[in-house]
Amino acid sequence: MTTTTDTPVDTVVRVEDVRALLDGVWESFLGAEEPLLTAALPAHLGGWTAAVSVTGTWRAQITIEVVDPLARLVTAHMLGRDEEPAVEDVRDALGELVNMVGGNIKSLHHGTAMLSLPWVGYGEDAPPPLLRETCRLDLTWRGLPLRVLVHVSASAAAADERRHSG
Amino acid sequence: MISTASFDFVADLQRRETAMRCEPGKEYLVEARLLPLAREAGYEDVDAYVARLRVDAAARADAVDALTINETSWFRDLAPYQTFTDTMLPALLESRAHVRHLELWSAACSSGQEAYSLAMLLRENLPPGWTATIHATDVSRAMLTRVKAGRYSQVEMNRGMPATRLVRWFERAGSEWQVSEELRSMITTEQLNLAAPFPPMRRFDVVFLRNVLIYFDAQTKSDILRRVHHTVAPDGFLLLGTSEYALDAGPGWQREVSGKTWMHRPEGARPATPAAGAAGPAGVRGGAGSAPARPLATTVPATATASFSSTLGTVARAGTGATLPTSLTPQGA
Amino acid sequence: MHALIIDDSTTMRSILRRIVTGLGYTTAEAGDGQQALDQMEAGPLPDLCLIDWNMPVMDGYTFVTRVRDREEWRDVTLMMVTTESEHNQIVRALAAGAHEYVIKPFTPDAIIEKLDLLGLVPQEATA
Repeated sequence: MTTTTDTPVDTVVRVEDVRALLDGVWESFLGAEEPLLTAALPAHLGGWTAAVSVTGTWRAQITIEVVDPLARLVTAHMLGRDEEPAVEDVRDALGELVNMVGGNIKSLHHGTAMLSLPWVGYGEDAPPPLLRETCRLDLTWRGLPLRVLVHVSASAAAADERRHSG
Repeated sequence: MISTASFDFVADLQRRETAMRCEPGKEYLVEARLLPLAREAGYEDVDAYVARLRVDAAARADAVDALTINETSWFRDLAPYQTFTDTMLPALLESRAHVRHLELWSAACSSGQEAYSLAMLLRENLPPGWTATIHATDVSRAMLTRVKAGRYSQVEMNRGMPATRLVRWFERAGSEWQVSEELRSMITTEQLNLAAPFPPMRRFDVVFLRNVLIYFDAQTKSDILRRVHHTVAPDGFLLLGTSEYALDAGPGWQREVSGKTWMHRPEGARPATPAAGAAGPAGVRGGAGSAPARPLATTVPATATASFSSTLGTVARAGTGATLPTSLTPQGA
Repeated sequence: MHALIIDDSTTMRSILRRIVTGLGYTTAEAGDGQQALDQMEAGPLPDLCLIDWNMPVMDGYTFVTRVRDREEWRDVTLMMVTTESEHNQIVRALAAGAHEYVIKPFTPDAIIEKLDLLGLVPQEATA
């Protein structure tokens, strides 16, 4: 393997690592009794999208998509309340969820990088990533779908693939 | 919820494999431990998975491993580790000066947090030229594989690990943290069922047998303590769990108190603390909040007597001149 | 005992509030480092600050350095509670004067055990 000064740090994000980090977040805040299960999901879930970006020696965007009933269930769990959460609560809880997942994914790499504040929207796509999808987890929790996506910088990913294949 | 028949099968399986009791009322726990395995194997519920266990030995082994996993913290309960550095270690540095080597046993080591916590304390407190080995045993081979790898999830790292030790002894390894080679090289592992006769074993200076006897019935407990007695050096130490101190360990053992901790010792061992013996913790140390005494401070090398608050405590205050409270003396509660 | 919980997420503040009030703490909350500094100026001074790293206006790392510049605030214990989890980030925070560091996600026990290390679990809470 050759290393040059303009070679980006390793940008491969292993799906097992993302799954392990996600399980950690889920078990800590939503309980270990009901595990996240791998599922086949439609291309478009509809509902909430929460995203954070990583900038620095590597670039990435971490996105969580959830249907509305799951978003509300997760929020109620995190707030420890039975009643229906307000829209602002859902927005905040999803933002914190993607912040935790994204921050942990950022630490998979040794480079120096910054985590953005979270972006959360309903019925919209996350800001278009000028990045290439490198990791996708399609899951259900209590029968409700969610998706986790990791996009990395296209140029960085291409360079990385060359290094790994060479 | 798991059916009675399934629960009885699982309880019986666990008792036969590990001698640990799994009593009615623990259905919820069994369900929580087995459901992820069941789902992973493609079963809708735990009952369907238990039906599979009846005919699949490999799946049974996985189930037993899942059932024996215990949540463990680093430096769990703090006080036993304080006793280790403040009382046991100074005594052993004196009595083992001729060999300059210590042998410890972390029995029922689970995923290894106790063994590595001890390794850190030893590395930080042993004088130059001394070595130590920690023998980590568990009934679960899956656990021993984890101990050898020395890799822990983010969530596990948060459990009682002082941040200063995290940065000193661990490196990131993907989504996990891995303990340094220096500490891993101090650990040996062996599969061992405490409830069955032991294979030939070394003599240990210190045995940690904490929070595991509670799972066994009275006869098995007594058998285990008799077998452990043969493995403890005549002037060695046995530490049981915080809720197990009051336990009558049976013939051959005497109890000695240090700080908040009861140590079990082979009968006839010279006390490691000056006032050891009849007095209870309060009589020896004064009330809660008194500074831990270090009775042997004058007779052992200075490197070994660093106070627990500086060794276990988290971090020196950066430029503030303030002193951290010791871990055992809550301030201004 | 009084804790100041500093995090831009109301959800996270709620989670932390439930944990420390369970130990007998009273709590105040701030949404960023500047708000937290303002609250400390106004008083009462907390015994403990739980501090997120990534926040708008002023981040938690800057907050720690500002608190450590103030001699009269030296008895306030600072614990980072953040998703920042690189080895070098933890070293930086400790060097700046944070006393402990909890990585998100965490369980309530993790927070309580860290506070125990700091001698900040009130005795009646452990009894």
